[in-house]
Parts: sequence; structure tokens; C-alpha cells
Amino acid sequence: MFFQEVTPDTSSYMIAGFAITFLVLAAYVASLYLRDRNLKQDIDTLTELQKAAEAENLKMDKKRAPKKNAEK
Amino acid sequence: MNKKPLALKILDLVSIVLLIAATYLSIFVAPMERVMGNVQRVFYFHVGTAWVALIGFIFTAALSVIYLATKNLKWDRIQVAAVEVSVVFFLITIILGSIWARPAWNTWWTWDPRLTTAAVVELVYIAYFMLRQGLDDPNKRANFSAVYALIGGLSAPITFFSIRLFRTIHPVVIAGTNAEAEGSFSMSGGMLQAFFFALFAFTVIFIDLFWNRIRLGEAQAKVEEMKINAAY
Amino acid sequence: MATKASHPNSLSKKEAAVGGYFKAISAIVWKDLRAEFRSWELISAMLVFSLLALLIFNFALELDVKTRQSVTAGVLWATFAFAGTLGLNRSMSIEKDRGCLDGLLLAPVDRSAIYFGKFFSNLAFMLIVEAIVLPVYSVLYNTNLFQPGLIAIILLGSVGYTSVGTLLAAMSVQTRTRDVLLPILLFPVAFAVLLSAVKASGGFLNGADFAEISFPINLLIVYDIIFIAISFMLFDAVVEE
Repeated sequence: MFFQEVTPDTSSYMIAGFAITFLVLAAYVASLYLRDRNLKQDIDTLTELQKAAEAENLKMDKKRAPKKNAEK
Repeated sequence: MNKKPLALKILDLVSIVLLIAATYLSIFVAPMERVMGNVQRVFYFHVGTAWVALIGFIFTAALSVIYLATKNLKWDRIQVAAVEVSVVFFLITIILGSIWARPAWNTWWTWDPRLTTAAVVELVYIAYFMLRQGLDDPNKRANFSAVYALIGGLSAPITFFSIRLFRTIHPVVIAGTNAEAEGSFSMSGGMLQAFFFALFAFTVIFIDLFWNRIRLGEAQAKVEEMKINAAY
Repeated sequence: MATKASHPNSLSKKEAAVGGYFKAISAIVWKDLRAEFRSWELISAMLVFSLLALLIFNFALELDVKTRQSVTAGVLWATFAFAGTLGLNRSMSIEKDRGCLDGLLLAPVDRSAIYFGKFFSNLAFMLIVEAIVLPVYSVLYNTNLFQPGLIAIILLGSVGYTSVGTLLAAMSVQTRTRDVLLPILLFPVAFAVLLSAVKASGGFLNGADFAEISFPINLLIVYDIIFIAISFMLFDAVVEE
């Protein structure tokens, strides 16, 4: 191999190499993007749940408050 | 969740431009290597990704020590980001090396010290993620991950020396010579240009991905915290 | 007078602390060994597994005289490694399941004493199994593996393997995927010790001169020292609640 005069044509290997590099990087970026999107959705749902729970608590408090006064 | 900072958005764009430029330089500008032909061009990316991945792994071990000393979960989030991005880059390194080896050594794989160590190191950090997956408590997960990353990082050089029991055919391009190495070559001007540019480009791309991954880790931590709060 | 009295007193305190440390270690080892010699569940599992592994290797590799010469060391170490993970896993699961680990952690001893206690009992189990597998292999294949040099190499390899294995098993039993995880965590890290051990014992069995096997033996010693030291330092982070 070291004494060959003609340079072997290894272009297909080169193309495969670059293609795989871009593929792996793209797949990783896509996974980052998807995980990020899912987390944002989770955060949105959880904040809504939290708000709903807080509103519920407020209602309960309001209901409870007059009763307490009445007992007194 | 705070919005993506402008600097990171710019860095995203710069990374894409640098990746395209590095590809252009290595395919069209750098001269063709006479003995191996065009496949030698993947070498620039091979070394570029290997360089950042190895720095990432060393950084990881340092982060283990910092985390174990401070027990601040911030360092755990930085560590998992560093490991993940390094694992992706190192995977590219191994695949490119394999593609290059096929025409140069006439085999996809050989159990040479560097190749074997690379495979073992990659497995260590894949195991790192499997360990994390099995744990729910953030503090325990951070403790265990830091311990395992440190042990894995320490074992890597010993693994390398232990495989030195066999001979190596991996070329040493930058420093030193190895009489048994096959496929070594010396770099001319255009090659050096592409080589250093690829190193630079992959360093920037690494920082960009790393930063994005840290932000993802912060979002994950926030969701975990909210879920715990919601349970009560 | 007072200084005279306090001096030996403080010395004896120090001695007592050191003595207490070793007492704690030996107490854990004795506890494990006595429990094991009552139930035999760990050693018998490791042993039966080892013999089955030898059986499978025998037919998978067709261990005739010629192949045996080159693969004996590999077969032995692969068997020890797999049987070792079995034992490590079990020994740590017992502690975890019966709540012994929590009890040990509450005891007023240094955490690293717990590490060394578990390390020595795991090492004892592994050495007992090896001490049975070696003569069985010798009888089955009509060779003599009872050579001091080989036994020393096996001891060094087992020390390295269990030192890091004990730490990782303490971690893996606390995860959700406990039984599956230990080999995945341990093998890439213990790769170097297994490789050096195989090289050293293979060289020794094939009558290589000492210069040739001194490098893997040195590596084994370096590995043992580094990983005992690092596991000793990190064990605290693994068991704290």
C-alpha cells in the first residue's frame, strides 16, 4: 500500500464519514430540541395545575372563613 | 423557564457556520493526501471531535471532585451536560476512525490500545447514564454519578497502559514516531490550516451544545422540583 | 506528673481508636462469614455458576490440549469475573434488603470501616470459590494450577476486582435496575485489572520469564493501590442518606 503510485479512490468512505458526522450531530440536536420542548410542556402543565390548586385552596379558605366566624 | 439568551442564539448560528466552513476547508481546500486518497479528509473531524471529547472527559472528572467537595447540584447538572456532549462527540470520533481504518488498515476495527481504550471509555460513560436512569433522588443520583465518573476517569489511563501489552498500529500524527504505525503522514500547509480550523470549530460547537445541554438540565431540575411540590 | 499521666493516656486513646477501627472491620467480616457458613447461599451460587461456566467454556471453545494452553488464563478469569459479580451483588443486596446497611451506618464507626469490612468478606468469598475452582480445573484438564506464582497473581487480581466491585455494588443495589447494573458498571472499569490478570497468569502458565510478566503484575499492583485508596475515600458519598 505504501509503494503504490496511484492514489486509491476512497471518496465514498470520505462521503460516508462526513454524512455520518452530520447525521449524529443532527440527531443529537434534534434530541436536545425535543427534550426541551417536552420539558416546556411539562412546566406549562405543572404551573397550570399549581394555579388551579391554589385557586381551589382560596375557595376552600373563603368557604371556611365565614363558618369559623359563625362558630365564634 | 427563562428565555434563551441572545449570546447562546448567536453561538448557535456561529457553530453552524463554523461546521460548514470546517467541512468546506477539509473537503475542498486541504490538499489530497497521496497515499490514502480522499478518506484522509475525515481525519480533521476525527481529531477535532476526539480533542473536545477528551477534554470534556477530563473536565468531567474535575467536576466530580468539585461536586463531591461542595455537594451543590449545579455541578451535577454541568457534569451530566459535559458527559453527554462528550459521549456524542466521541461516538463520532470512533465511527470516523473506523471508516478511515477500513481503506487504510484494511479492517473496520482492530484491538489496538487507542481503539480499545476509546471503546471502553465510551462504555464507561454509557454506563454512567444507565446508573443515572436507575435513580430518582437528585442528591443520591448526583453523588453516585460523581463517584462513578471519577472512577471511570481514573481507570481510563490504566486501561490504556494495560492494552499497551499488545503492539499498536495507530499513527501518532502530531508528536513522536511509531515505526509500526500504519497510515501516518506529515501535514502540509493546507492540511494544517484545515486541521487547526477543525479543532477550533469543534471547540466552539462543543461549547454551544454544552451550554444548551446545561439549560436543558436546569429545566429538568425545575420540572422534578415542581413534580415533588405538586405531590404534596 | 500530670503530663506524664496524660501522655500515655492519649496514646492509648489513639490506640483504642485504631483498635476500634480494626475491631469494626473484623466484626463485619465475621458477621458475613458466619452468616454465610450457616446458609452457604452465596458461595454455593458462585460455585455452581463457576462450574457451569467451565462446562460451557469446555464445549464452546473445545478445550483440547492445544487450545487450553492459550486460553486457560482467559477461561479462569472470565469465570471468576462473572461469579464475582454474582457474589458482590448478592452480598450487598442482603445488607440492603435486611436493612443491615442502615444498621451499620448507625453504628458509631467510621464509614470506611464498613467499606473495608465488606471488601474483605467479598474478597474471602471470591477466594474461597477460586480455591475450589482451581483444583477442579486442574483435575479436569490434568494440569497443576497450584503454583505459588499463579496464586499470587490471582490474589492480586481478585483484590483489584473486589476493591472497586464492592464500591460499585454498594451503588448498584440502591438503584432501580439493581441486578442488571453491576456488571455494566463494573466491567468497563475493571477491564484493566482483568486484562492484566489474564496476561500475567497466561504468561506464567506458558512459562514466560519474569521480565515478560512483570509489567502486567506491576499494573495489577498499581491498580490495586489506586482503587483501594479511591474506593476508601469515596465510599462515604455512596452510603450517606
